[in-house]
Amino acid sequence: MLLAARTVAAQPALSANSCVSCHTMLPEARLSAPPAVFAQQDVHRDTGFSCIDCHGGDRAAADKLHAHDAGRGFKGKPAGQAVIATCGRCHSDAELMRKYAPRQRIDQATEYATSVHGKQLAAGDTKVATCVSCHGAHGIRKVNDAKSPVYATNVANTCASCHASPAHMAGYTLPNKKPLPTDQIALYQQSVHYAALTKGNDLSAPTCNDCHGNHGAAPPGAGSVVNVCGTCHAVFAQKFSTSVHAQIFDRGCVECHSNHAVLKPSDEMLGAGAKSLCATCHSGADDKGVLAATRMRGDIERLKTAVDRSAARVAALTNAGLEMNAQTLAVADARTHLTLARTQMHSFDAALVTPVINDGLKTIADVDKAADGAAAELRFRRRGLAASLGAILLVVIALGFKIRQLERPPKHLIQ
Amino acid sequence: MSELPPAGFPATPAAGSFDRRRFLDALLAVGFVSTAAAIAYPVARYLVPPDSGEAATNSVVAGKAAALKPNSGMIFPFGSKPAIVVRAADGQLSAFSAVCTHLECTVQFKPDASQLWCACHNGLYDLAGNVVSGPPPRNLERFAVNLRGEPGTEDIVVSRGA
Amino acid sequence: MVQHVLNWLDERLDLGGLKHFVSEKGVPVHAQEVWYYLGGLTLFLFAVQIFTGILLLLYYRPSATEAYESVQFIVTRVPFGWLIRNIHSWSANLLIGAAFAHFFSVFLLKSYRKPRELTWISGMLLLFLMLGFGFSGYLLPWNELSFFATKVGTGIAGSVPVIGHFLIRLLRGGDDVTGATLSRFFGFHVAVLPAISTALVALHLLFVQRQGMSVPLGVEKTLKPGEKVPQMPFFPNYILRDVLVWYVALAALAALAAFSPWELGKKADPFAAVPPGIRPEWYFLAMFHTLKLIPSHVLGFEGERLGVIAFGLVAVFLVFVPFVDRRSSDGRGSPWFTALAVTGVLYLVIFTILAQIAP
Repeated sequence: MLLAARTVAAQPALSANSCVSCHTMLPEARLSAPPAVFAQQDVHRDTGFSCIDCHGGDRAAADKLHAHDAGRGFKGKPAGQAVIATCGRCHSDAELMRKYAPRQRIDQATEYATSVHGKQLAAGDTKVATCVSCHGAHGIRKVNDAKSPVYATNVANTCASCHASPAHMAGYTLPNKKPLPTDQIALYQQSVHYAALTKGNDLSAPTCNDCHGNHGAAPPGAGSVVNVCGTCHAVFAQKFSTSVHAQIFDRGCVECHSNHAVLKPSDEMLGAGAKSLCATCHSGADDKGVLAATRMRGDIERLKTAVDRSAARVAALTNAGLEMNAQTLAVADARTHLTLARTQMHSFDAALVTPVINDGLKTIADVDKAADGAAAELRFRRRGLAASLGAILLVVIALGFKIRQLERPPKHLIQ
Repeated sequence: MSELPPAGFPATPAAGSFDRRRFLDALLAVGFVSTAAAIAYPVARYLVPPDSGEAATNSVVAGKAAALKPNSGMIFPFGSKPAIVVRAADGQLSAFSAVCTHLECTVQFKPDASQLWCACHNGLYDLAGNVVSGPPPRNLERFAVNLRGEPGTEDIVVSRGA
Repeated sequence: MVQHVLNWLDERLDLGGLKHFVSEKGVPVHAQEVWYYLGGLTLFLFAVQIFTGILLLLYYRPSATEAYESVQFIVTRVPFGWLIRNIHSWSANLLIGAAFAHFFSVFLLKSYRKPRELTWISGMLLLFLMLGFGFSGYLLPWNELSFFATKVGTGIAGSVPVIGHFLIRLLRGGDDVTGATLSRFFGFHVAVLPAISTALVALHLLFVQRQGMSVPLGVEKTLKPGEKVPQMPFFPNYILRDVLVWYVALAALAALAAFSPWELGKKADPFAAVPPGIRPEWYFLAMFHTLKLIPSHVLGFEGERLGVIAFGLVAVFLVFVPFVDRRSSDGRGSPWFTALAVTGVLYLVIFTILAQIAP
């Protein structure tokens, strides 16, 4: 988008704007604030647009009657569908947008019409979000501007400004007639995705729009959850889709990992114990799921224990002064197998997990052998030093005798 | 010293004590020599530098240049962490830490895509170490690569920036 | 063979005086003579340190990025590097132990009295230098323990009045413990302290040779007038005993290196939090624990500052003990100073133990 030159050019245009000169003097904040905000900072202002481009009217006219003349195109404050039309007038016009932002999409309005917001709006519901609800009306910033309400780290709060308000969301229901929850943002803020986004500075971490869509915002349908999560978590999605659960789970990944409060997974989730997730559906000693879960969890725990034990041994030997670089590397490789096993587990087929674990265990076995050799080296050193200790003590004893011999007068010389 | 011993005093104890003294002196000599050797031998061995030459903090020999074919990669230990040296299809050498920045699995070279790939969660890096796709949050640490030695039998020397 | 060499040297350097001195040199024989060996033991251990220290110098690198790795290299890759390093670390502890034992035996036996005041002063300075060696050398492996022990130790220097801040910067090479501190400590440890110690050891030994060994007051008193203390010839009797003591020390070193090898530890991370329960080496523990126990404010003064001043005053007092203890200079018994010495030993032992068992 062209900026600097346009900004300089835009300034004089604004000062010759009767909208601004009149409205800024009005006592009502509702009327005086918008032009002030627009003059302060706005992406449209930067490109030379002004009040009349959205609101219509005559900005050269000095009196309200002429300025607000409907005949000169005055539309007033757009509301409801009018907002979409106002924004869409330019933003859905490919030829126009090509002049200002060639890479920007021009199908937002069409997308919006497919969204829950769009459908509700078409049905007459004015409480739903429109363009200005998320993007603002007068102080609009670019999406990659950190202060924009639709910047990656701000999206959740913007959605929550409506979706977390029970007052605003009263009357809306889920397909199963239950009331629409308002705790999504609270749940999301517990998630690893939120942590990655806000604390980990990873802007590729998902927020509301990454799973629900931007303009075509709607919850992913049952059956499409795996695809949605799979856009980033491709390996897991692929393995899951080959599993028995792919046919059974209504909500795919969400069944185990939740949709908003996606927490850091732990091995505890797998298995047949009371704390495991498998136990929510699987029970009974001859249940195939219980058997598979128990086996997979058992395998993973076995490798985990082996890795921890070997790692401790290697660390102790390194600390004692032996060179264990290759073994440290091998332990890291075994840990890699642990990660691979946890990935493979999503196929829910124990027969696929076991070989991965066995590879890891083989690596650990090699490490243990090398550690045994290193421990033997330590013992050898100790024995060597013990031997030299013997030689030293021999000298000490011999010296003792020598001193005694030197100082004991020889018997045949006693006077 | 050449006094005659008093009568009745057997000559053997005198000879015996002389032998004892000789024995003790010999024992002492053996003791001193063996302890001196027990000190000198380790010190002598210590003075001879080991094959690895110097502490592998910042620089490691990855292997022979001739052994690395174009469009292939080789994992080697850099200290106690894995590293990988890659020869691109055009012959250029580059080296990176092979520790994936996601969950520390060891990455490998994928010849069909000429990218570095992490098998754990499908992270992909290009041959500049930049993340292309997948979960890794940061690029791979890049190392400097140099060749050292006689042409034809050069070593690939990988070093961390000083 | 040896005789040939000696004759050759004698022709050129006239070893007559030296030969006479050596053949006449004697060491007093009495009940307390066992304490005589401590000085030689200290000297022997100091020589071991110089020898192993020079060997370590061949591979060690005094920079924050390379120090730890170079020690690791010595210990893992260099043949018998683990042995040299272990001997150096253990001998350092034994050396300081021997130096303190030597100091206390001289103190208790009042050997510092006239005419041996200079020997005492040079010896006290050497004791402080040995502590300096221990403190500076401890940082060189650049591991977690040594980094934080140095941080705490140099921090205490800040409590010295007036020049405290200047002292800290002088010691640390800056405001914090960094690679600059390592460089500086390395310079102290291998150049500055050895140079000063060599000069002082030479003086100390010169004085001892010139004046001979001191005989305890108690033994002197039992002599009849005109009677001299029985002597044993230095060559070969005393020297053989000395060598025996050195070999026992060597055995101790070998045993310690074999059964209690020195660890590498974790590489120092200046930005990590101080590990709980960090302490200096055992020879500083008593002082450290005392400073910890002093309340933070005493009579309006900072507790630690008072403690540091007190220790400083004690050190100065100790250096000038021969001049304060008039009684022993006159040849009379000096029970107050004996009591002082005993108190000193007890204080050090008790507080070292307390510091070890404290959480």
